[in-house]
Amino acid sequence: MSAEEAAASSPKKRKSRTTRGVKGKKKAKVFSRTEGQGKKAKKIDGRMKKLFRKRARDYNSDEDDDNEGNENLSLNSERTVEAESDEEAEEKELESGSEDEGDEMETGVMKFVEGCRAFSLAFNKITKKSVSEDLLGPVLSGHKKLLAEKLAEEEADHKVKADAKKEKNSLREKGHVKPANFLDSHEKFLISVATKGVVKLFNGVNKAQNAQKGLNPSRTKDAKALAKRRKAAFLSELHKKPTQDAESSKGANSAATKKEDGPGWAPLRDSYMLTSSKLKNWDKMQDTNAADDMGETPQFSSSDED
Amino acid sequence: MARFRNNKRKRDAVVRPIAKKPSGGGVDHVTGDKIPKSFVFSRGKLPGPLKQLQMDLRKLMLPFTALKLKEKKRNNLKDYLNVAGPMGVTHFLILSKTESASYLKVARTPQGPTLTFKICDYSLALDVAQSQLRPRCPQELFKNPPLIVLSGFGTGDQHLKLTTIMFQNIFPSIDINTVKLSSCQRIVLLNYNKETKLIDFRHYSIRLQPVGVSRRLRKFVQNHQAPDLRTLQDVSDFVTRAGYGSESEADDEAATVSLASDLGRANQASSKSAVKLQEIGPRMTLQLMKVEEGLCAGGVIFNEHGPVEEAKKQANQEENGEEDNNANQEENSEEDNDED
Repeated sequence: MSAEEAAASSPKKRKSRTTRGVKGKKKAKVFSRTEGQGKKAKKIDGRMKKLFRKRARDYNSDEDDDNEGNENLSLNSERTVEAESDEEAEEKELESGSEDEGDEMETGVMKFVEGCRAFSLAFNKITKKSVSEDLLGPVLSGHKKLLAEKLAEEEADHKVKADAKKEKNSLREKGHVKPANFLDSHEKFLISVATKGVVKLFNGVNKAQNAQKGLNPSRTKDAKALAKRRKAAFLSELHKKPTQDAESSKGANSAATKKEDGPGWAPLRDSYMLTSSKLKNWDKMQDTNAADDMGETPQFSSSDED
Repeated sequence: MARFRNNKRKRDAVVRPIAKKPSGGGVDHVTGDKIPKSFVFSRGKLPGPLKQLQMDLRKLMLPFTALKLKEKKRNNLKDYLNVAGPMGVTHFLILSKTESASYLKVARTPQGPTLTFKICDYSLALDVAQSQLRPRCPQELFKNPPLIVLSGFGTGDQHLKLTTIMFQNIFPSIDINTVKLSSCQRIVLLNYNKETKLIDFRHYSIRLQPVGVSRRLRKFVQNHQAPDLRTLQDVSDFVTRAGYGSESEADDEAATVSLASDLGRANQASSKSAVKLQEIGPRMTLQLMKVEEGLCAGGVIFNEHGPVEEAKKQANQEENGEEDNNANQEENSEEDNDED
């Protein structure tokens, strides 16, 4: 198959190198040669190459023109033979794939040589063509529709993206409200509530601190008076429910008065160790006490802070 | 964990002296109460505005909070809890965001309880400042803790009571006998609306102005600049001619106080002063959704959506909160040791 193909393709190849007049003869010639002298051609190969190289060296570009007539003809014929024999050998090895490429290359070159006129014709046609004036320009005129389509598509894409962004942004900003420039009734109400609270506190502070104002704690007499006042406050505090006293750690009075009360350090107080039921029978339940120790201690420490 | 538990006693002996320090430092000098401290951080990724809100909340919680608390993606609640113990941090404010809404959790460390609020809407401090003609936000404002006013919570419901206590304890308590009025510069207001069950969260700055003094004189005393007298015939005009007072300047009897001590240049102790509040954000509308026993875990004491969901959620949380509970227990034992 490959040999036949090569044979079939060979005339084309020769076409490219030879002048048109000798078509038929050479075709036959080559055909016979290639069939018969497959091996011979190879043998010749090295010698021929040398010869050709030599000749090529001898030839200069200037001389080329003079010798073209006879020598080129003979040379060409021989060259083609050689080339074809080479190709055949190759084709036998590579079979189909490479051969086609070779073919196309050769045909391409041939068409370039041949198609100059066609090309010029085409070029002329294009240049002579009258182009309608358009925004998109003459070169892209053929793609006008496509371009418009693309632009529209892009726009749509952009829109989708913008929508997505908007949605995302709205999700980000969810619950975020910019307040109005004026105070509405609700805000005014809130401010009045807060103001009331502040006024209450300030008045309370005023009352408490004004009472102490004349008294200088560094003077013993005043200090006594202060202590008395605090004691009174403390006693009144005591007469309230005891639970309230414990709860209102925030209450300002209680914090101040507790200090007056007894020794600050918990072990010095009368009630030390008696309040916790668990420690009452400490000698009886030693084991359990050891276990409970951890849980119990913070209570004391908290009481001694007060 | 197991290893630690076995060696508990041994470890305690080593830890005690180190851990004792901060507990001594976290006490108010005057009243002797323990100063509550807070962390404001987020769980999960927050969008930009909420991050800003978080920053605003941190500013609001100043001075006893970590303003520049660095958060990392991998930080979990346990990490914060571990830091909170030695630092003496008592409260966590945790912001989070879901598809539907953003949430604020207010938790007491290390044991809870945790209140979960849904942030229905919010405005940042920046928005509030932009809405005002003359926003006022001097730096000294944040050097002292704010006062807190809770109103409308006294309906007797258990969860409201808990909310009240929680927010009362989030800021240092005030001793009326010793407090300096100059330290009362800000106020946080929480107003509970019975009908809508929403809590309005507002943050105001407190300003005191002497009553019965023309605006001109007040400005003259407050600013250290010579007044513009070009238009006047006589110096006495400056004092006698009444400045135009706007409606807001009309003295409101309810808003006047007599001060215990002098405050600034303008406010004398003997004279009366008017209390002016100006909002410095953030502003939030909160809805109490859930109250949990533990720190973001444990049994649900209160749920807005009713008991059916509550049971389900509780079951879920007991599964999830197993780890946190363990962390809590460890934390507790450590605290106990600090104090004894």
